[in-house]
Formats: sequence, structure tokens, C-alpha cells
Amino acid sequence: MLLAVIGLVGLFETYITPEMIHTLFNGKVIHDTLIGTAAGSISVGQPFLSYIIGGELLKDGISSYAVTAFILSFVTLGVIQLPLEFSIFGARFTLIRNLLSLVFAVIISWATAYTLELLNGYFS
Amino acid sequence: MSKKKQMKNRSGYMMLAVVAILYAVLYFFNADKILLALKASFHILKMIAPILLIVFFLMALLNTFLDEKNIAKHLGKESGLKGWFIALLGGILSHGPGYIWYPMLQDLRAKGALDGLVVAFIYARSIKLPWLPLMISYFGLAFTLVLSLYIILGAFIQGVLTNRLETR
Repeated sequence: MLLAVIGLVGLFETYITPEMIHTLFNGKVIHDTLIGTAAGSISVGQPFLSYIIGGELLKDGISSYAVTAFILSFVTLGVIQLPLEFSIFGARFTLIRNLLSLVFAVIISWATAYTLELLNGYFS
Repeated sequence: MSKKKQMKNRSGYMMLAVVAILYAVLYFFNADKILLALKASFHILKMIAPILLIVFFLMALLNTFLDEKNIAKHLGKESGLKGWFIALLGGILSHGPGYIWYPMLQDLRAKGALDGLVVAFIYARSIKLPWLPLMISYFGLAFTLVLSLYIILGAFIQGVLTNRLETR
């Protein structure tokens, strides 16, 4: 199973490019936060890749809410790993863990971006 | 071998076969890209091999020195604050992709570790210590600190929620 997941990760790394992820965003905060979460959950690779893509997205004016959601779901959610997680932990645990991670990717990204806005307002 | 383990092995082989077929089919459409994907997979395998060895070593240690009683004490219902501390710190310090830690975590669950602590461990792994300097250089210190604090808080809350839901 581990080899199968590694094979899938290799395929995704090759076929899903940063440019493809880039085209999914449209500038609307709620839409982009959800897209950021979804894109992060299907993306694979080393965490620094999410920083590079996230940095580019920020430069292009995508909201920090969406970029944070992308960075966070990149490391907390893994659609490709689901079969392995399911086979090791069982369906119920996997479902609960991933649903919680999904919801918290949105909550934490909003909390982070909102807190930073407050801090920026306070210190400026 | 138990029936459950046999089923798991079979689903693993099936999944591997599906991925192999996928590679074979895609090879006919774009051979160069598939060779790149294969190269990427070997690179990942090479990268995680040392971490896999550490995980197997840790599993052997756990199996030798920790029995159900010990696990229940440190990570079970009676573990209290110490259990949360171990889970969150362990998650932050652990390296490599999450899936290579799954067998060890399932071992701990089977021996009585709370599901909530396992969930907290997995979520706390999203703080990647070696990558923090890079995150700071891209997004700033304030962003990195605030996000890391919320991740720890989020891991704890998710663990508590999981325990409430009684996933077993």
C-alpha cells in the first residue's frame, strides 16, 4: 500500500503543476478559501512547495485567507493517502480525522488571517 | 495471520496493481511524463527510506518496552495533560510524510492510546520545524508564529472532539 501511495504521489507531482493550481482562484475570499483548501488537499510534495506557490498567489493578489488555507491543507489533508489511512485506521477514524482537518483548515486560516489583520492594525 | 490483516494486505496489493496499470496506460499517452513520475516516486522512496527505518526502529522499541498498561498510563484515558503534551510535541518533532507514521500510531491505538491523542499527533505534524525558517522568509515571523499557535490549539481541540465522538 505504501508503494502504491508513493507511486500516486509521483504521478500527482508530475501532472498537477503550480500553474494549474493558480488558475483555480478568482479573487473572492470565501470561494478562494474553499478552493485553497481543496487545492491543498489534492496537492502533494514537500511543504516548501506550498510556500512557493502560496507566495506567488499572495503576490498575485489572492487573499491571505485562501493562501493560508492552501498551505495548511497541503500538510494536513491528503486525498492520495486516504486509501492507506483507511486501510490502517479504519473507516470511522479516517472519516472523522479528515472531516475535522477539513473544517479546521478553514477555521485556522480565517483565524490566522484575521489575527494578523488585527495585529497589523494595532501596531501600525 | 488474522483475517483483518489478510484483507489489508489484499487491498494493498490491489491498490498497487491499480497504480501500476495507471502508469502503464499513461505511458502510452506520454512516455516522457510517466518516466518523470517514476523518477519522482523513486526520489520520494529514497527520501523516506531513512525515516521509515527510524519508524520501524521506534515500533520495535515500543513493542519491546511498552505494554498495554504503559500505553494506557502515558497515552490512554488516565494520561491527562501528560498525554496531550506527548502527542503534540511528538507530532511537532516527527519528520517525513505523515503516512509512514500510520502503522506505529495504529499500534499505539491497538494498545489503548486515545484516538484523540493520535488525531492531535497527526495534526501537530503540520508544524514542520525544518521548514519554519523558509516559511518565515516567505510570509514573515508574525504569520509563522500565529499559524503555528493556531495549529497547536486546533490539534488539541480536534483531539478533544475526537475523544468526545468515541471513534472506536
